[in-house]
This record gives sequence, C-alpha cells and structure tokens, in this order.
Amino acid sequence: MTAGRSPQVMLAEGLARQGRSAAAVTACQQALRIDERDPLVHCLLAGLMIGEGFCEQAAGAATRAIGIDPGCAPAYLVLGLAYDRIGGMWDSSVLVWQELAEVAPDLAVAHVQLGEALDAAGYPDEALAAWKRALEIDPRDCRAMYDLAVAALKREGMATALPGFRKAGDLDPSQDELFFALAGFDARVAPAGDVVSVGPDASERLLAAHAFAAGEELFKAAELVRMVLEEHSDDVAALTLAAYLYLKQESVNEATACALRALTLSTQSPAAVLALGVAFARRPALSDHAAKLFSALTAMAPGQALSHVLLAESRLALQRYAAAGEAYRAALAIDPGCVRAHFGEAAVALAEGDHTRATWAVRRASHHDVQRRRHFWQLYDAAVEGGAQ
Amino acid sequence: MTDDAALRLYRALVRHDPAAAISVIERVRAGGTPQEALFDTLFAPAMAILGGSWADGSINEYAFTQAAVTADQIMSFVTPPVGAADTGVGVLVGCMHGDRHDIGKNIIAAALREAGHRVTDLGVEVLPARFLERAEESGARIVIVFAEMLATAHAVERVHEMFLSAERDDVTLLASGAPFVADSRLAAAVGASGVVRGAEDALRAVMRATSAAMDRGAR
Repeated sequence: MTAGRSPQVMLAEGLARQGRSAAAVTACQQALRIDERDPLVHCLLAGLMIGEGFCEQAAGAATRAIGIDPGCAPAYLVLGLAYDRIGGMWDSSVLVWQELAEVAPDLAVAHVQLGEALDAAGYPDEALAAWKRALEIDPRDCRAMYDLAVAALKREGMATALPGFRKAGDLDPSQDELFFALAGFDARVAPAGDVVSVGPDASERLLAAHAFAAGEELFKAAELVRMVLEEHSDDVAALTLAAYLYLKQESVNEATACALRALTLSTQSPAAVLALGVAFARRPALSDHAAKLFSALTAMAPGQALSHVLLAESRLALQRYAAAGEAYRAALAIDPGCVRAHFGEAAVALAEGDHTRATWAVRRASHHDVQRRRHFWQLYDAAVEGGAQ
Repeated sequence: MTDDAALRLYRALVRHDPAAAISVIERVRAGGTPQEALFDTLFAPAMAILGGSWADGSINEYAFTQAAVTADQIMSFVTPPVGAADTGVGVLVGCMHGDRHDIGKNIIAAALREAGHRVTDLGVEVLPARFLERAEESGARIVIVFAEMLATAHAVERVHEMFLSAERDDVTLLASGAPFVADSRLAAAVGASGVVRGAEDALRAVMRATSAAMDRGAR
C-alpha cells in the first residue's frame, strides 16, 4: 500500500530491502519526526537494529511498536529474537513468542521459536508440543523437525534421533538445490507450460524436466525423462534425474536402481553420487556405504557446504562423532549460515556431552534460519497490507 | 560368480519371486562370499541391471515397481549386519543419587548399546549400594556413574567405597559429568579410573577398560 504513507517511510523500506542499513536507519528517524506513532516505522527500525546486532536497541524499538499497535506481528518477531540473542531472558522470550503465536496463529516459526524458548527455560514437554504444533501448521518446517530430533537425542540417544535428522534433511530445500547445482541445472529457469510445448531435442527435454522437477511437478518431469530414455537409454543425466524423482516419491529401491545404472555408465556424475548416497542413507544398514559416497562427493564438489553436511550425517549414523564434527565444521567454513550444519553441530556437541555448545549451536541455527527465510519481511509486508485494508 | 549371479538375482526380482532371489543369495553366500560383501558384489550389480532394463524399456514401469518391492523384501539378506555384534562386555550406567541430569547418560548408553555392549541402565537417583548390587547381578565389569553437580560428583566416592568394601577390584569405575571435565583431578579424588566426556569417549574408555581387564586376566 502507498496511500497515507510518507515518502520517508517508503524510502526507509526501500533502503532496508537493499541492505543499506545505516541510510535506512536515518530515513526511519526522519519518518518518525513526521509521525512518531507509526508502529511500522518503529518496527522497521527494530528489524534494522537486530540485523546489525544491536539487540537492546532492537528490543526498545520493537516494544515501542507493540505499545502503539499490540497486533504488530513483525515487532513481536524482532523482540523475541532480541531476547533470545541477549540470552538469559527465557521467561520474557516465552511470553513474546506466545504473543506472536496468538497474533499470527498460522505462523509456524512462532511455534518453533516458542518451543526453543520453552526448552531453554526448562519446559521440555511444552517445547515438544510447540514443535509438533509447528509441524501441524507446516509439515515441511525442517527446523521444527530438527528441534524434535535434538530433543529425541537428549532423551533417548542417537539411534532414535537419526530418523528425525534424516527427515529434517529431506525437508530442507537446500538438498534439492544441491542436486540441481551438481546436475549443472540453473534452478531459476522457469518450467515450460506443459510437456507438449517442450521441443523434441533431448537437451531441451532434459532442461525442461529439471525445471519441472525443481517446481515439484514430478509427473511432468518423469514423462520427459521417459521420452529422453526412449531415444537414449544410456543417458546418464536422465537416469540421474529419474533417481532424484523416485527419491522425491519415497521409492528408494527404484532410485537406487537408476542411480546405480547411471554410475555404471559414468562414475563422474556428482548428482548421481548424491542420489545414490541419499538412497543409501535412508537405510541404517547402509550408513557405511552412504559415508563412502558422500566422502567421494566432498572430493567431487568440495565447495558445496551441503556435501560436507551429508558426509557428517552419515558419520553420525556410524557413531563417529569426532569425524562428523570435523565435516560439520568444514560445511560451516564454507557457509556459516548453513542451518542444517548448525543443528548437526548441536547433535555432535550433545553426543560429546557438551550441552552448552549444543544450546549455542541451536541458537545460531535459529538466527540464520530466520534470516534465510526472510520471516521479518513476510510479516512486515503482511502488516503493511493489513494497514492498507 | 558375480555377473551370472547378479543376472539371476535380477531375473528373480523381475519375476517378483523372492524365494528364487533368496536362493540365489544363499548360493552365493555358500560359495564363500561373506555377508558384508553381498550387497556390493551381488545386489548392487543386479539393481544396476534392473535400472538399465527400465531405462531401455525392456521392463515397464509396473514390472520395475514390482521388482523394487521384491528387492525390499530380500534386502535384509544382502545388507551388512545392523549394529555391531554382541561384544559380551557388560556396562552399568546410572546417575548418582541426588542427580536427575540424564541427557548425557541416555546418549552414552545408546551409543554403547549400538556398539554391541550389554548396557544396564539404572536410571537416575541411584544409591551407591545399588551400583554394587546390580554389578554383581549382571556381571558388569565397567560402571559409569554420571553426576552433573559438584555435590553429587563428590558423592561418587561412595560408589568407589562400596566396590572397595566388597573387594571388587575387577570392576572399572568411570565418572562422567561437567564437574569431572572442569576439574581433571576430581575423578582420581573420588576413586574413578577415568572420565567419560561423551559418547565417542565412552566407546574408547570401554575399549581401554576391556583390554586392561583382559590383560589382568591373562596375568
């Protein structure tokens, strides 16, 4: 919405979206001189402050926003994050996340954060209920699944926790991104409207099949793969994509067969190595096989953080905790914001008996996940829209 | 063996005939292929043939799916054994009386179990005498006492005294918990032979204690 909003507010928002924080803060202050009771400007200021690590100032601005508009969801998000990062304020943190869950009941991350705050405050059963509620709202919320896996690790040990870590990994979109990157496919390519509109050339079909697969249109992708294989049954890329599509449908043996065929034809396909490794990792008895494949993958794609994470997870399954920690650290050296590696670090720390390090790893995962998924801007835009209505 | 056997296994999978598939596996095993090698030398090549047949259209989607189902049914015959074999080593774990911090204990107990050790978990708030009683009942030679608070860490000495008074010097007493990590002399002060810092450390400590016990036995 634009009606009724000052140019200074629009400028502040634009600058903040571009990541020009200092200029955006100045624009916010100018906007507040015009209307000091605009909750969204206080909220935007809070978002900028938390982004720069000024937690106390962020908490102050968010509190002012909530004081003016008690339904300002993004302000609760910033306030909760500020309390979590300041630390030692778990009771306040729990209250803020509860408020956010009430203001935005369909927001899964509110329940995830509430669970983490409850866990830190010493209410593990209530924390489990909050994470389960998050998964009811969004069954694909990988952080809630990671939190449940870490809780299972605390209560019952690695054997019970591992399926949860695997499930969370499968929900994590970065694994799909890794597959497409290794397959040499640009995931930003828009899929064709329909299979019939794709050209008859095998490379065109494969490109379109990858685009359909990236857009979760698995049957269209499978149809194109079939067309390619009818003409070139030894096409490694088509077989590898077939393996990926079967994995997405939980058909592990079909995926294994396709990936093994692809690797029989060429051992130099990192995407096929990934697909076979993921298929093996789903069977506890094949953890050693998965570890060998992911070790090969890290050699083939050393710059991909997730290949190190997958290696680490397979080592966790083998109870090689020190080696798993090494691989997680390699992943974090490449991508410090890798949420999956932070949760893995927490698992290793717990297995090594270092609970403090585990808590910090979960908090780092939380910080990076909120940033990565741009929750603040989603809530902010929704609040702006709400104001317009 | 392998090429021919892999082809026969592939055919059994496509015929949706698990009995025939198991028969192929058993013949290969009887021919001297160890269980750990069956997956790589027999199952994986058969699955590669299956993938190739699906790709070139020799078998249709339905047959491919049915073969995959049969592969699932016979999977346990070709995969390496899950978990380690029973080591026969008995380990007693429990949190010291007055201490309910069981996260570390649960993780370590699970890791030791998966490594094939016979773990007896006494839970939390375990009295010193209970460690001795259960060690005698279970025949465990390794006892890991968990204590996360300074007071309960000092109380581990009571467990040591129990074993001393019963002349059970064949039992290795290990301590675990933050106070023992923070103060490296504390474990020795309470009579523990070592400190367990985490799951991997526990596996190593149990291995060391087992070797030491075997050495003592040999002497």
